[in-house]
This record gives sequence, structure tokens and C-alpha cells, in this order.
Amino acid sequence: MAGPRYIADPEETVRSVELDGLSVLFHEPSGMTHIVAAPAPEILEMLRAGPADAAELLRRLRARFEFEGNEAEAAIHARLDELEAAGLVRRA
Amino acid sequence: MSGTDDKEVGGKGAGGNAFVPSRRTVLVLGAAAASTVVTVRPALAQTAGSVLNCEIPVPGPHAGGNHIAADGNLVAPGTPGAAPPLARPLRGEEARQLLRGSTPPGVNPQSAQAYANYIRRLQSGMSGFTCYASLQMPR
Repeated sequence: MAGPRYIADPEETVRSVELDGLSVLFHEPSGMTHIVAAPAPEILEMLRAGPADAAELLRRLRARFEFEGNEAEAAIHARLDELEAAGLVRRA
Repeated sequence: MSGTDDKEVGGKGAGGNAFVPSRRTVLVLGAAAASTVVTVRPALAQTAGSVLNCEIPVPGPHAGGNHIAADGNLVAPGTPGAAPPLARPLRGEEARQLLRGSTPPGVNPQSAQAYANYIRRLQSGMSGFTCYASLQMPR
């Protein structure tokens, strides 16, 4: 069974500043500010291409990146959960 | 928190002989239990709210009755060109408008410059100084 699909707000609604390996994101719709590390910016970028569940998101990420470790699926769910809790992604 | 790293992946060029390295980024997804997002907004929201709602009496209670000259100095009532005291304290947001050169509602535009200069002259210990200092902090 496919899991929930997620989507991120368009790039123009999130101001981003990179700071030595971290990114500070100001999410204009909510007025919230977040400090994020990889892979959060990469996940947001992939979800801006359209809604995706965890499996599709991993496919998109794998098209550009190599993964370290063998717990990609568990990790991507954890990342999506925390991005959703922060309001940076939402269910499509 | 985790990060990305560059990793060289070798490949053959179109000619078959030349080794053409390409760079493919390794993305560390992190452990399931490790957080990669820290939200800092709540504390800032509180600060922003208090800045907008803090108050600056013009002039402060120490100078009750005095008028304010165009340069912001306190002068005796009746001094030509001086602005009268404001009937109520300015809120932080109103003070911000004044400092930016606009006139908040209820303020005489001809007196706005005097009030703005009074605020700029506030010093530590004077009523409204903390509010003014907060307005100077980046948000």
C-alpha cells in the first residue's frame, strides 16, 4: 500500500540562506524560521517538482545523489515526519 | 546533523580512452532518530510581538509638561516650533513608523520629526529606551 504523499510550498515562499553546511529557512506562509541540515533542503527541492510518497521521493533523490548507509527508507520517513511537523511539507 | 559530501565517480569519456571524472554528491539521510530540523520561530515571535506592543512615552514622565523641539530636545512649553507632548505613549510599531519618516495615525505630521528625534535621543534609563533599543534589533 502506498504511503502518504507529500508536497512542499513553492521556492518563492521560502527564503533560504546557507550557513556553513546548514540552511536557515524562513517559511513565509507560516512566518516560521527553521535551521535545517541535509537532506532537508534536498527533500524540499524534490517535493517542489510535485507530490511524492516516500518511495517516489527516494527515487528522485537517487537520480541525483548517492546515499550513505543502508537505512534510506527508515531515514526518509523520519525526515518527512520532522519536515511535516515543522510545517515545511504537508500531505498532498 | 548530517551533511552532503562530494565523491568522485570515474567514467569513460566519449572517446573511450580519456578518464573523465564526474562528481556525484553523497547525500547523508541521517539516522532515523537524528533530527535535521530546528525551528527557532517561537522565541522570535514572542520578541517581535513585544517589540510591536512596547511603549515609548513622548516625552517620558521625567519631562512631563515639556515640549519637544524639532531636534528632539526638551524645551519649555511655548517655545516656538516645539511640538506638544503626545497624549498617549507610542506603541513600538508607531515609533518604528516615525523613525522611518512616516506619520502614524493620530500624530500631527508637523510634529513627527520632533518626536522621531526625541526617540533617537533616548538613552539607557529613560522611559521607552528599552522599546527603542528593541526596534533597532534585526528580526
